[in-house]
Amino acid sequence: MTTIQNVAHFVHAYRQAPWRVQRQWTGAFLLALLAVSMVSALYLEINARAALIGREIQALEFEIASVQRANADLSTRLAILQSKSNMEARAGALGFRLAERGEIHYLVVPGYSAPQAVQLAETQPPLSPPSIPPEYTQSLLEWLAEKMRASSGAGQ
Amino acid sequence: MMRHQYHWRSLTLAGFLAFFALTILVQIIRIQTSPDAAVFKAQAENFSGTYRTIYPERGEIYDRNGHLLAGNQTVYAVSVNLDEVTDPYAMALTLSTYLALDYNETLGYLLDPPEGKHNLTFKDFVPADQAAALQELQRQMAVQAAGTGVPSRLSGLEFQAHLQRSYPENALASNVIGFVSREGRGYFGVEEKYNDLLAGVPTQVWVPEDPNRALEIPKVPDGTTLILTINRDLQAATEQILDDALNQYGAQNGAIIVMDPKTGEILAMAVTPRMDLNQFWNYDSIYNTAADYNRAVSMPYEPGSVVKILTMAAALDSGTIQPNTSYFDTGVFEVGGIKIQNWDGRPWGTQDMLGCLQHSLNVCLAWISTSMGRDNFYGYMERFGLGRPTGVDLAGEAAGRLKVPGDSDWSEADLGTNSFGQGLTATPLQMIAAASAIANDGRMVVPHVLYAMVRNEQQVNIPPALGGSPITQQTADTLNEMLALSLEQEASLALLPGYRLAGKTGTGQIPTPGLGYISDQTNASFIGWGPVDDPQFMIYVWLERPSASIWGSDTAAPVFSQVAERTVILLDIPPDSVRQQLANK
Repeated sequence: MTTIQNVAHFVHAYRQAPWRVQRQWTGAFLLALLAVSMVSALYLEINARAALIGREIQALEFEIASVQRANADLSTRLAILQSKSNMEARAGALGFRLAERGEIHYLVVPGYSAPQAVQLAETQPPLSPPSIPPEYTQSLLEWLAEKMRASSGAGQ
Repeated sequence: MMRHQYHWRSLTLAGFLAFFALTILVQIIRIQTSPDAAVFKAQAENFSGTYRTIYPERGEIYDRNGHLLAGNQTVYAVSVNLDEVTDPYAMALTLSTYLALDYNETLGYLLDPPEGKHNLTFKDFVPADQAAALQELQRQMAVQAAGTGVPSRLSGLEFQAHLQRSYPENALASNVIGFVSREGRGYFGVEEKYNDLLAGVPTQVWVPEDPNRALEIPKVPDGTTLILTINRDLQAATEQILDDALNQYGAQNGAIIVMDPKTGEILAMAVTPRMDLNQFWNYDSIYNTAADYNRAVSMPYEPGSVVKILTMAAALDSGTIQPNTSYFDTGVFEVGGIKIQNWDGRPWGTQDMLGCLQHSLNVCLAWISTSMGRDNFYGYMERFGLGRPTGVDLAGEAAGRLKVPGDSDWSEADLGTNSFGQGLTATPLQMIAAASAIANDGRMVVPHVLYAMVRNEQQVNIPPALGGSPITQQTADTLNEMLALSLEQEASLALLPGYRLAGKTGTGQIPTPGLGYISDQTNASFIGWGPVDDPQFMIYVWLERPSASIWGSDTAAPVFSQVAERTVILLDIPPDSVRQQLANK
């Protein structure tokens, strides 16, 4: 047996040593465990964030409803303060009274146009909401499917 | 040996763990497929969210100048979570004191709640200030209890905020607006007519508690906001004039309508009685019937001589008469077996058609309608819209009654009496809609109160609608002039210095079952418009049973003048001379 054969035998024996095989299995298992742990951690992290955002959305929805009610209250209170009877009483207290027909003088004001009825909102169509690019909403699989559809469509 | 033993121990442990894992897996599958699975799923579903009926915010109602007539304000439903109540006696005492509830009844509910109930609502529609006082007390008691480690004696008290209808102007235009009940349904006026638009669509939705499904919380759009054609200041002035007129002339009730004769926009519609809409529960004590709520649209009556302008319009348009056609009034005209007399019972001799209108001669008008012939006369009356609703966008409109040949209760005598407004019924709104043809170049308008709708940040203005052209423009111009001259020559109390107006009085006797027409009880009316060369307003006045004078010329005519005066001031309509100067510049 030559020296080279001895070395080759030693290397072969070394590679097939039981402790080495065990270590390979252990390494592979730990690698898989690490991968699963990473995916789980990522999943947990995203899920926790989504839940947090969800709670915030719920809180904001509640706040929106609350603000809408407050707006309605304020608008009604303002209307009560500016109601016909209140305004007349305040004007009377300040010494004002209704004008009589003979007390009114009409002047020509160039460019004057008589007031029209109230305009509470625009009459033109509202602006469309900003669109979100598909990169922010598409999954990788959806993107692949779209590309495949596009390429098959182009081939036809 | 040691190595072998270790190997078996490892295998045993691994086998045990595998068996344990398998058992868990089998159990999971067994539970998922067991008959009890549906029950567990239902239980899980119960905690994952709630079914809630979402009532959209009811649309607001504005007048044409942007004054809020109907809005919303926050009120609270006060309830108790029975699982959290620690001191039912303190809770009952607090609720009965702050919410004016019966102590014993409240305590009874707290000690012995209905089967299966975990939450009881003790009072709804609690005003915000009342709820705030209660919330402050609850907060103070919670602060006191915080250091003791014992729950607050008011723990379990809950407040659910929601919106309730509110009317900042109280009774102003109550007949036009209507009201909303506690159940959220609109009654009368605009609130009923446009209830579906205002209320939006109440939707029962599933609201998930899971924050990951927060985006699934549905959005229910609010109700549509309405802008009315009503001018708040003119409405208030008209109501004031009407109230004063009832006092001055001793009338039982009344109605006044101010309308733009070119568009049909109702600028003011005052009636009596009116109701504070924030206290709608008083409805039963104020009104006897639903028709009383808005007599301008719901209560037909025999309008009397104001109908003569329609008869005259029909006769001129059909060519039966000309303005200068002369008629010899003998004081009596017989038609269908009945004798028709003038209002004063005397003959007026030779009259032209202007004289017939100016002196309001029943005999002359009965001669005109019979000269036209029944088909011709009733054809015109139907084209003027008598006997059918105008289509106004207010709830509860009445159609009135116009008997026509062929109806079982029509007789030849009706052809004579109908010509001067007896034997037919119409609402003030029908009369003003019919007369709009005379003020608007022969074109009738459809009266309406809706000016615009606002929804999704967009305002949609409602275009005016025409109700037909019963007469030609030439006829309208001729009659306009005749009615203006008639007022001027009569020196009517309806006149307004500086403005040329056209109009006609009406005094209708009131038919009473079994007694016929009672001469000392009348409906006094006036219809008029102006300025004659460019009509911008049309006013109808109805006073029911005035006691100071039975005649429309003494009662309704001066009321018309007062309303016309406020109208020209509030609508910035200059006197004719100023207007013509402006036009010439």
